Amino acid sequence: MKSFIGAQVALQATIKAAKLYADVATDDDPDDGLHVVPGELRRFLARLRLLHGVPFSYLVPDAELLPPESMRFFYIDRAWTDALVQGALSVGTVSTADRAQLEAVYPHIRTEVDEAERTIRRPPGQDRLEGAASTITGFLMRSRAVSGWPNLHVRAYAVDVVADDALTTAAESDPSRLKVLRMERLAPAVLLVLIDGVPAVVHVEEPRQGIQFGARLDANAPPAQRRARVRFRNKNTGNLIGAANAPLTDANSVEVPFRAGAPGVIDLATLRQRLAAKAPPVAPTLAPNEFALQMLRFPYRQVFGDPDNKEGTKFFGLDTFKPTVSLVKWQAAVKTNLGL
Amino acid sequence: MPKIGHFILHSNVMPPITAGRYELVSEMSGVPFDVEPEHTHFHVAAPRYVMPPEQIISSFPPANAEGAFGDRLPQIVLKRRTLPWERNPAGGTNPSPVPWLALVVVAEGEAELSGATPVAECCTPEKPLTDPNDKDVEQGLYLAVTETVLKKIFPCEQDLPLLTHVRQVDVHDTELANGDDDGFLAVVLANRLPVFDQANGKSVRYMACLVNVEGQLPRLPKPQPPVPAFEWKLAQDWSVLAQANVSGGPDVQVMGGKGQGVAAGVLPLAGVGRGRRDPEARAAGAAAASRGVPAGVQGSAFAQFVAARPATPVGQALDGAAAMGEPAVGNQWTRAAPVSQATQTIAAAALDPDAKRLVRDTMGMGFRLPIQLYAVEQVFRFPVLAHWSFTTNEGATFETLLQDVDVGLLGAAPNPKPKKAPLPGQPDPLSPPPAPEGPEVVETGHVGLDHTTRRGDAVRAWYRAPCVPFPTPRHGGTVKDAAATEPLPLAHSADQLRRTIPDGREDLALAAAFEIGRLLALSQLSVVSALMRFRAEQFGAGRVRELLAQVLNVPLPGLAGAAHTRPDLGRFVALEMVGTLAKSPAAMLGPRRPVADPGRPLAVNGELDAVIAAGLGIDLAALNKRAASVGALAALEQTAVPLALKPGEQPKPDAALPALKNALQGELARTLGVAVPQASVGGGVIGGGTIVRGRAERPRAAEPDPLDRLIAAAAEDGDDEEEGPR
Repeated sequence: MKSFIGAQVALQATIKAAKLYADVATDDDPDDGLHVVPGELRRFLARLRLLHGVPFSYLVPDAELLPPESMRFFYIDRAWTDALVQGALSVGTVSTADRAQLEAVYPHIRTEVDEAERTIRRPPGQDRLEGAASTITGFLMRSRAVSGWPNLHVRAYAVDVVADDALTTAAESDPSRLKVLRMERLAPAVLLVLIDGVPAVVHVEEPRQGIQFGARLDANAPPAQRRARVRFRNKNTGNLIGAANAPLTDANSVEVPFRAGAPGVIDLATLRQRLAAKAPPVAPTLAPNEFALQMLRFPYRQVFGDPDNKEGTKFFGLDTFKPTVSLVKWQAAVKTNLGL
Repeated sequence: MPKIGHFILHSNVMPPITAGRYELVSEMSGVPFDVEPEHTHFHVAAPRYVMPPEQIISSFPPANAEGAFGDRLPQIVLKRRTLPWERNPAGGTNPSPVPWLALVVVAEGEAELSGATPVAECCTPEKPLTDPNDKDVEQGLYLAVTETVLKKIFPCEQDLPLLTHVRQVDVHDTELANGDDDGFLAVVLANRLPVFDQANGKSVRYMACLVNVEGQLPRLPKPQPPVPAFEWKLAQDWSVLAQANVSGGPDVQVMGGKGQGVAAGVLPLAGVGRGRRDPEARAAGAAAASRGVPAGVQGSAFAQFVAARPATPVGQALDGAAAMGEPAVGNQWTRAAPVSQATQTIAAAALDPDAKRLVRDTMGMGFRLPIQLYAVEQVFRFPVLAHWSFTTNEGATFETLLQDVDVGLLGAAPNPKPKKAPLPGQPDPLSPPPAPEGPEVVETGHVGLDHTTRRGDAVRAWYRAPCVPFPTPRHGGTVKDAAATEPLPLAHSADQLRRTIPDGREDLALAAAFEIGRLLALSQLSVVSALMRFRAEQFGAGRVRELLAQVLNVPLPGLAGAAHTRPDLGRFVALEMVGTLAKSPAAMLGPRRPVADPGRPLAVNGELDAVIAAGLGIDLAALNKRAASVGALAALEQTAVPLALKPGEQPKPDAALPALKNALQGELARTLGVAVPQASVGGGVIGGGTIVRGRAERPRAAEPDPLDRLIAAAAEDGDDEEEGPR
């Protein structure tokens, strides 16, 4: 019996189908929209792009590249992450027909996974961001600060708009902030952060749950007569009175009274009265939350990045190069000298 | 939720009722009949002797840490915001702003932490507690302090409300962003700064205990005139008891600070912990395990372990990769100074499989002094809900750690650390050993690694991680002279992405990426099945459509939209087929059989042979005679049939008219016979015996009709032919 659909017909149909139907949508989600690639596959590939599940030795091939107490910034090589996704897609492509079809549909997969990258990490209350692929940067931090203070805050800014000690009020979808695509502790003391874009400054802040209370010990006091002071704050705004690094005087701090005979035990009743005298409270005596406010040692924020070169440390002397001859004059001079 | 970057402090959050067992009596009035009052009992549960671990969010300083904590007040952060006010410490059931929790910091040698004891003995209240049977656990711990130490280090009664507050934080930028923390926390502060022993330059070990002060408020110290400065010394030094021989004492769980003896059944086998690579420790542990030994011998094995080695370098396997060679957790807090014995022991206990129970027990090391046996003055007991120990040495705070962090692009060599001048009283730091040769790194970010080829040769190859120190084009150098955003062409196997460098080595970065991506996808069945389904839906539908388009010449509907919105192609084709069949049945099925009325019944009078022969005008007898000799078929062939018209002959006009008339009359009679069957024509029906070639004339019905009579009357003037056979 001669079959009507022979090998030639089937092959032609396959080739035509691969070319014509590469952008046929298979996933229609009311929340997500119409896509070629189904949602769970897209999210899996987007997570691969953000290096989820990739063994650590692939990211840092030699342990000495990340020595203890170090922070290393990097760009993500998009060719590498594309190869990762291509490897995942090669599962199940056995015949030439499969490969031809994958070749035709791959540009659409790549575009859709690019858009899905930004949706993997979305803290509650933030907007959903989508867009074409751009540079991904990040850093790896290996330090005791990561193991001792879990839940660090990391914020990356495209433009340095926040003063170093000012409170952050911009949401992550604000244009001056760059989205953090991934923040994860790969080991107790190793933190990996991926940022969407090239940041101008990065803030790493102590976790706010670990807010501490304490006094400032006087480093110059003799060992037998240790003293301490508490810098007090404006009770309405919570800001320190005076400049951040000013020396401690009676104008901006009170001395801490201690219990006799007991090392380090604070006499809280007297301290309460002294603080109440300096920063008059609402009620006659200082309430517990006002006391806590005064004893606060705010989470420390470390700022990485110096776009305005305030500290005067640039890498190359060329950065201070300023031209003093106009280009036109210089070109003319060169021409004359060369006899042209 | 507070604004981003803000947190809110509250003085307290009072619960509506305190913990305890309640009886609710409800009565109804205003109804005409009697109603019995209803008694309901309910129990408001709250911790009393042990804090459940899930209620403790964090503590500062971190447990088993060594650092510069001398300027911070220890604190413990609890999850439920009303916890510190859920019991009234003065007794009674009204909620009171004085909390029942206090955080007490004791230095090593000042107080005693007990082992597990029944809760009835954990407290020495002046008057009985509100409901002694309201206990959340059967056994708890207690802190035994002498009166001197109590007066020195415990907070005053007026200080208790000041040291407890509630905080409301914003959790958006943290790892907790995907959980459901509501941001409210209760914080209990201590009143003592855990200071460093500056005069002797020694680190001091402290333990912070969260104690229950129910019923013991009058015992707390009264406020006294303050002093402006302090000097380090222990509130009361009981550390000599550590050397005492206490085999007969009531407190069986004694840890000797100097390797005296170890707790019975508290510290298990040294070698059983994960990740230990030291063969001697493993052997010692295995030997101890096999003997199932009691405290003494086991203790010696463990003490030997503790004394012999520094912190074990333990590797952490992440995602299946090899260990990074990171030092133990306890060791990470101090790099230069040696880690103290206690911290090491606790860190070693943390690696044990029984770590949950063991670590807290081991933290009590150094605080299990039999003070109650030897003290002359009164000793008070306070139940301890949670405790942790830490050490203050001249170390780092978050600020100093982050300021000292070495920042650079990946691949940069670390900056050499400046030598710090030693502080007065501290020994000189040892000079660091010479650093070993670093990895082979080049400016492009490639690292040279050992490579075993498929054939078994050991060569060196280049590998570059996805983390590179400069921006790279997306095509990775595979496409010449292309823009930076030009993507990597699709590769179908890892070998396609191997590159050879002019120096002869291979660059395996992209090939390794391809392979690990493939393995990661294969490792999850859901991904494999999702890929198969995607391929079938997207490609399979298109391929079927193209096949049908080639085979059929019917326009097919487009493939737009998602799969469930498209028309079912199978059904569509079937309907089209049926429609096409219906439109041109002659081409599709074959010639069409014309619609036919049922025929009249044939009346055959006599033998069939005779009737047919008479109708054809053939002599039957002669035919039969001839047939007997040459056969029926030959006889038929030889017989001539009388014809009205010879072939090629023009019909004679005078013969044609009667023939036509006959034909007409016959047809008319037949039609009438069908339409009006009662009417009968007398006489015969004049019909033509004319035979039209190729068509058999059908015999007519026998009954004469009135029309037959009419026709008979009308045909009298015409030539009468022989009437047809009846």
